[in-house]
Amino acid sequence: MAMIDIVFTLVNGLATGMAVFLVAAGLTLIFGILKILNFAHGAFFMIGAYVSYSIIGSNPSSLWLFVAAAFAGGIVVGALGYVADKIVLRRLRDVDEAYMLIATFAVLLVCSGVVKLIWGVDYASVNPPPLLDGAVEIGQLFIPTYSIFVIISGLIVFILLDFAIHRTWLGKLLQSVANDSWMSGLLGINVPIALTATVIVSFMLAGLAGGLLLANQTLSPILGESYLLLAFMAVIIGGLGNVRGAFIAAALLGIIESGSSLILPNMPGMATYIFVIAFLLAKPQGLLGAHRI
Amino acid sequence: MKAAKILALVAAALAFATLPLWADQGIMFLAGLVLIEAVFALSWNLLFGFTGLASFGHAAFFAIGAYLTGYALRTALGVPFLLLIMGSGILGAAVAVLTGLVLLRRTTGIHLAIFTLALAEVLRIIIGYSTVLGREDGLASIPRPALDFGFATINLASGTAYYWFLCVAASLLAGLLWLVCHGPFGRVLVSIRQDPERAAFMGVNVPAYRLLAFTISGGVAAMSGALYAPWAQIVTPESAHWIHSTQPMLASLLGGAHSFYGPIIGTVLFSVINYLTRDLVGLAELVIGLILLVIVLAAPNGVVGLLQAAWRRATRSSRTPEAMPQSVGDAT
Repeated sequence: MAMIDIVFTLVNGLATGMAVFLVAAGLTLIFGILKILNFAHGAFFMIGAYVSYSIIGSNPSSLWLFVAAAFAGGIVVGALGYVADKIVLRRLRDVDEAYMLIATFAVLLVCSGVVKLIWGVDYASVNPPPLLDGAVEIGQLFIPTYSIFVIISGLIVFILLDFAIHRTWLGKLLQSVANDSWMSGLLGINVPIALTATVIVSFMLAGLAGGLLLANQTLSPILGESYLLLAFMAVIIGGLGNVRGAFIAAALLGIIESGSSLILPNMPGMATYIFVIAFLLAKPQGLLGAHRI
Repeated sequence: MKAAKILALVAAALAFATLPLWADQGIMFLAGLVLIEAVFALSWNLLFGFTGLASFGHAAFFAIGAYLTGYALRTALGVPFLLLIMGSGILGAAVAVLTGLVLLRRTTGIHLAIFTLALAEVLRIIIGYSTVLGREDGLASIPRPALDFGFATINLASGTAYYWFLCVAASLLAGLLWLVCHGPFGRVLVSIRQDPERAAFMGVNVPAYRLLAFTISGGVAAMSGALYAPWAQIVTPESAHWIHSTQPMLASLLGGAHSFYGPIIGTVLFSVINYLTRDLVGLAELVIGLILLVIVLAAPNGVVGLLQAAWRRATRSSRTPEAMPQSVGDAT
């Protein structure tokens, strides 16, 4: 195994990891504040991807159009989040975990049914915009520009989210709601609005991720599943509801996934699951489980 | 209530038993699948509805039974079919003991869900990699066996014969689970679901009971898989996929997880919806998702819970309120 392979695996893994984080960010946020593990997150990710696809088609003409379409996907899915909160999530705040998982699974079914009815079951694919189509060459190392774009997107989303939660007035307000919503209510914080806002932001992140990760993958009604499981694992390993934990865990999982395809090319995903099982047996609370959000 | 229940049970048994006489081959195949999936759902609900543990990787046990039986029948090892079913059950139970010993003492709730999900996915990947088990293509053209009782042999090669065998086998397994759920053991499990801490305080060995429930559940799930292999005549890694793990959950919730018969009713409803909406891709998921949503949000006790409530309302109008039995369903 040459050095070059290892570097390549690391970069690849980081790209996968950041893609996973883009999906996991909204998932962990909604858990941190509402304590809801949203099975339907992957489905909304998929809807974001389909909305962006409907705007830009298979060959986006510029990077800006590509990013703008991703934001449009985020906004549409954010609006759906408002609806989902009104109809479903609001009623799940105090029920048993298993019912919560099954209710959001029902939402997942509804979403994938609607996607099949609207966009059909045919596969579609989207090319990266011209600026992201090539590869950067450093010595012998080839890095696809799109991978760099995904890594940078993941970092930007993480930094913005982390800043918003830990450094702004609004973030502190949300932290207090997450810690003790009853007490926050007593202190005059409008808890229902804070919770609804969290749901909308979480869903927007899912839709945005769908648009940003649109290129280089097959768009089909099972797209939601592909990232959902990995994002779930990242959220659990990072410590439920912890954005920083999810970020570290997503990067870790991406590198393990990419490393395992170097070492065990015949068993994709195997090493990841074994890592997850071993990790959780050793540390069931996750990396940063003790500190919420 | 009791008379109505028995009447419904007899009617359902008659409908299933006489089905080959009046329905076509396609419907009969679906009915056979319903019988198998109903047993699978019952085994899952022993954990969820009675013990309060949600396994999200139950399809792994199903796949263990299906692959063991499918492999043995295909290679014609000469093991009697009934023994194969028992063997599948024992293997499933053994795997359940091993995983349960590690998982149940440490995790419940969401963590248990993720753990079982991850373990089932690992199994699916191993199966997909294993050449002996046909990799991603699975084991195809599995022959249907003959039952050899020594004094008589029943050949199950024809679809109708195997269907009737399925009716008997599924009833026996369901009956076994009924006994488990309705005896003292089942009552202890329900007490653990309702409040594990208090149950432990009363002297119940909670981990041991959970492990035993997990073992029985895994064993029966594997046996339902064993029944499946010769019926479908093909077994693929899809049978261990997490989507398959969600089938018993949907069925149990749809029917009513706190009722013994809920998962059976749910499985039937599920198949009927799938059958009626088969022409328009996506419609089945939409309809099932919406129904499930309504059930979880508005009627957590499922169709059985709704029927019980309707029954109470109907009898309340004709009888005095004092004669009414108290509600037993407890919405979580």
